[in-house]
Amino acid sequence: MIRSKRGETDPYRKQLKSDCESLLGRFQKTESVRFQVFSEIWRESNFTHIFYGAVKHEKRAFSRRVLDLAYSYFLPPLTFQIRVGGLYLLYSLYRSQTASPPEQIRVALKDWDEVKKFEKDAADAQHLDAVYILRQLRFLKAFHFTAMPTLLAYKKKRKTEKSDLSEEFVERASRPQELINGDLLEELSNIHELYEKMKTSVSLPSEKSVNMIHRSFVPQLRGSVLDFHKWQQNKDETDQDEDCGEGTSSQQECSNRAGLIASIKSKAYGEAAEASKSRRHRQVEVDPTSNESGPSNAPGRSRKTKPSFKARTKEKYLFSGDQLKASSSTTMISHLTSLDPVAAEKVKYFKRFPSK
Amino acid sequence: MAASGGSTTSNTNIPEYEYSDVNTKPFHIGGFRSEWLSRLTPDDYSYQPEEEDTFDANFAKEHGVSAETMAELKSVCSIDSLRCHPEDEQPDPEVVPPNPTLQTLIERKKKQDYKASRKITKNRHDLYANELERLTYGMKPEAVDDILPEGEVILTVNVYYPASYDKFNYVRPHMTLLMTGSHSLAEFRDAICCVSDLQVCGEFSNTPNIAPDFISKDHYKSAFFYFEGVFYNDMRYPECQDISMTTIEWAKSHNFPSYSQAKMEDTRFMDLNVKVGFPYLYCHQGDCEHLVIITDVRLTHKNDCLDKELYPLLTHKHRVATQKCSVCHIFIGRWFTTNDEFAPSHPCLFCDKCFRTLHYNEDGYKLGDFLAYPYVDRGAFN
Repeated sequence: MIRSKRGETDPYRKQLKSDCESLLGRFQKTESVRFQVFSEIWRESNFTHIFYGAVKHEKRAFSRRVLDLAYSYFLPPLTFQIRVGGLYLLYSLYRSQTASPPEQIRVALKDWDEVKKFEKDAADAQHLDAVYILRQLRFLKAFHFTAMPTLLAYKKKRKTEKSDLSEEFVERASRPQELINGDLLEELSNIHELYEKMKTSVSLPSEKSVNMIHRSFVPQLRGSVLDFHKWQQNKDETDQDEDCGEGTSSQQECSNRAGLIASIKSKAYGEAAEASKSRRHRQVEVDPTSNESGPSNAPGRSRKTKPSFKARTKEKYLFSGDQLKASSSTTMISHLTSLDPVAAEKVKYFKRFPSK
Repeated sequence: MAASGGSTTSNTNIPEYEYSDVNTKPFHIGGFRSEWLSRLTPDDYSYQPEEEDTFDANFAKEHGVSAETMAELKSVCSIDSLRCHPEDEQPDPEVVPPNPTLQTLIERKKKQDYKASRKITKNRHDLYANELERLTYGMKPEAVDDILPEGEVILTVNVYYPASYDKFNYVRPHMTLLMTGSHSLAEFRDAICCVSDLQVCGEFSNTPNIAPDFISKDHYKSAFFYFEGVFYNDMRYPECQDISMTTIEWAKSHNFPSYSQAKMEDTRFMDLNVKVGFPYLYCHQGDCEHLVIITDVRLTHKNDCLDKELYPLLTHKHRVATQKCSVCHIFIGRWFTTNDEFAPSHPCLFCDKCFRTLHYNEDGYKLGDFLAYPYVDRGAFN
């Protein structure tokens, strides 16, 4: 609503985002969900000062902006730990804002169920400080119960911004692992066996329809999910520690079906199937060394922006000596008319053409 | 999985994005309200603060926490743990602290330095914005009856000025009104101030005193809102016409989806089916068309203005430059004249006082030959 003349709708957005993300990034590195840890980082980075210097009605607008931003860290698909960080951030910002009466945290109806689920997860995992802070916010009546997280005024964007969420905070997709877990594979292979038996008992051994069944369906399915999991881990962690895991998994491609299923259960996605959502952030990363390098390296891998057209042209066509000078100097109005003869003729021809 | 999928499709009153960050799918505002209320406890939207002790006790009971742990929890989560300065010194929150490390502060410092380097020190609009905010936040009514009921919805509505003038320069002039769910659209209509309602048509050089009696608002009372396929017509007065009929019939003859009609005065916001963030239409004076965007719907909060009487509440008003009287250059023009022998230009703008002293004698007789038309500046509502 408050915009400057140049059409900036959100003057501090970029800076705010980087500040919040560096705070949450530090919080993520601690692998903790304790408020004590969070508040320590908060104090170290003097985060309360973020409100300082905003005067008069700027205060309210700024509070609005920063709370809206912090709210986005409190929602899925971010990892549980970052969401806890987001909650702490909301709480801390809400309590230390300079606007009076305080600006409220806007929570959208569609997100409320997620908030409740979050509260339950946190309570189940005995993260009392997270639950307490969420309750405290409700107790303080810090929420506006709204239709949508931001005010919408039909502002279509000219260019689509890339996703706002930074990659290292996002929870890894675990649906394939959840869907195709050990139980399902076991069930599948049982059915498979049963079907095969029945088919053979009903029909003649020479009949072809028995051969229609994929014999290796279950191992194949397992293989592809494993591949996916491996790919995910390779993507996330640049360490080569994973290789040993891969080695063992490939060695286990034996015919013994029971052993196979057991290995799936124990190894590949035991975490995904068994760990409650709230604890996954601790269990997914098994190796501490890969942990440290993984997330901390990630910001460097963030998407690069394309160089400008000018830069690309320069890079592509390497000019030498005088040419470079000529090309880099600005075009002058007077030079437009003094074309080399061939080009000039061409222009003339084209000019004449439409009049005919 | 299947169950939750089914419930979201059947339950259309939970607003979802139609286009991300642009607008939502249509939903029923009353239904939206009851969805929220069903999810919350009365304490969540009550205006009365909850007792802190009962809160602590409830929390401790619910999670089986001992008094000791509770006390520890409270101290860990207190605001003191967020303080970034020694206890005995209180920094000034109005200035950017020295040697900031946060990106935001560096940027703010840069902006403030730039602003300070320029000559303009005070901005009148900042002043107005402050004033408007002071008037609206946390107003408590004097009479108990006037208090807004708990759990009422508040809508934020932007009404845009017709785009017939001004080049587009990244500012879309509009006013922002806060409405409650129990307001009818007719009340909304009355709260919209537009200069085209105040125009006076005709030449009044002979009888300048009766000009204010001929305001368009009193002559042409028809108007309609358009929300989600329905035209809501103003039919409060006998002389009102259904001016949406033309559009509806035209649409019918051109194979457009059919539109329906309803009465503005019988429709409350609560009964509406709308998309949040989507542009709709308010049309009055025949062809003065305003875009109307509902930017927000939410439950009331104890810090809102709780005086029912103050709604519809104006929270933002775009201010436009006004045309001043060509004689005194102080007051806003009220008359413009043509064929005027006293005037320096043709046509020429006068404020009421200058107009009368220049063109009429003490007894109110017209001097000279001229045509005078009442003029309403579009900044009249500033």
